[in-house]
Amino acid sequence: MRILAIDTSSQSAGCALLEDGRLLGEFFTNVKLTHSQTILPMVQSLLDQTRASLSDVDLFAVTTGPGSFTGLRIGLSAVKGMAHALGKPCVGVSTLEALAWQFCGQELLVAPVLDARCAQVYTALFRWEGETLTRLEPDQAIPIAQLEQRLKNEKNAVFLVGDGAEMCYNMLNERVPLLRLAPPTMRYTHAGALALAAERAAGLGYTVSAEQLAPAYLRLPQAERELLAKQQSV
Amino acid sequence: MTRFISHSAEETEQFAEQFAKKLRPGDVVACFGGMGMGKTVFAHGLARGLGLSDEVSSPTFALVQEYTDGNIPLYHFDMYRVSDFDALYSTGFFDYLEQDGVLLIEWSEQIESALPPGAIRLSFARLDENTRELTIEGEGF
Repeated sequence: MRILAIDTSSQSAGCALLEDGRLLGEFFTNVKLTHSQTILPMVQSLLDQTRASLSDVDLFAVTTGPGSFTGLRIGLSAVKGMAHALGKPCVGVSTLEALAWQFCGQELLVAPVLDARCAQVYTALFRWEGETLTRLEPDQAIPIAQLEQRLKNEKNAVFLVGDGAEMCYNMLNERVPLLRLAPPTMRYTHAGALALAAERAAGLGYTVSAEQLAPAYLRLPQAERELLAKQQSV
Repeated sequence: MTRFISHSAEETEQFAEQFAKKLRPGDVVACFGGMGMGKTVFAHGLARGLGLSDEVSSPTFALVQEYTDGNIPLYHFDMYRVSDFDALYSTGFFDYLEQDGVLLIEWSEQIESALPPGAIRLSFARLDENTRELTIEGEGF
């Protein structure tokens, strides 16, 4: 099964081609360019350089959120367009789960963190035990202070990964001694890991049509949402 | 802090044009002050000062207008109807902050706690029918 995976959900952008567990090619960029202008040329280059054709793709994978509002819409639109035109199935993967998949095969805890702005992060918590991934917390938008509470009592090292990882590490590492930062090569979302997550999901039957594919924006807790204007917060 | 007394729409526009020349990509200009203060003519002057040749219009209905035909892109927001975090998120505001353009935000009162720390604050006050006091607060002003 050939999977074309696309991620434009956060600061970085990328695409990958996976065939039966083997990564055939991957493209990753992390520059301040608009994903809408880079993602389709990236997919074209990937297909050209792997001598693959779009019509050989059996399944499309995309990160459905949480993440950047514009970014999620770009990735979903691109995948919906291609999958609809070719009549192929899709798999939508949580951006946080795709980040956790970068640690596949390890024995550790992973806390993916995406910067949700205003001292908030999108986060979850996963445990890898070899090939088994266990979700310990759902995808949530929480204040960074709450992330500290969640992680400080962990008895094992917790790896931070995602576009908010460095920020959270710098803010919390003195108070959360077992906090670890993913190395630069693994810190941002990689479409190869997304493709692996999608392959497993597809094996479990979690495929949808292009029409059914939908973004999963995370809403903030009520109290956080309403505190935008300063006079209301006093 | 910079203070400027404008006696006409033309003076406001010219002041905005000069002000624009000090702006750099990534700057956020947060406007405070109600209706009829000259924010729209200020936006016209700002766009011209940034070297943009697009036609500037009010973003009230679109929430955001993009002007990209020039040196530094200008993203012009109207936050009048934006009152909670989800609404702000779905304007793409946080994504525009990552772009190397200038953000001009009308009705910043609405989203004050979400403004980035380095935002330049531009306040309009009405002195009489045609006279306005413009106050700019921010690093370098």
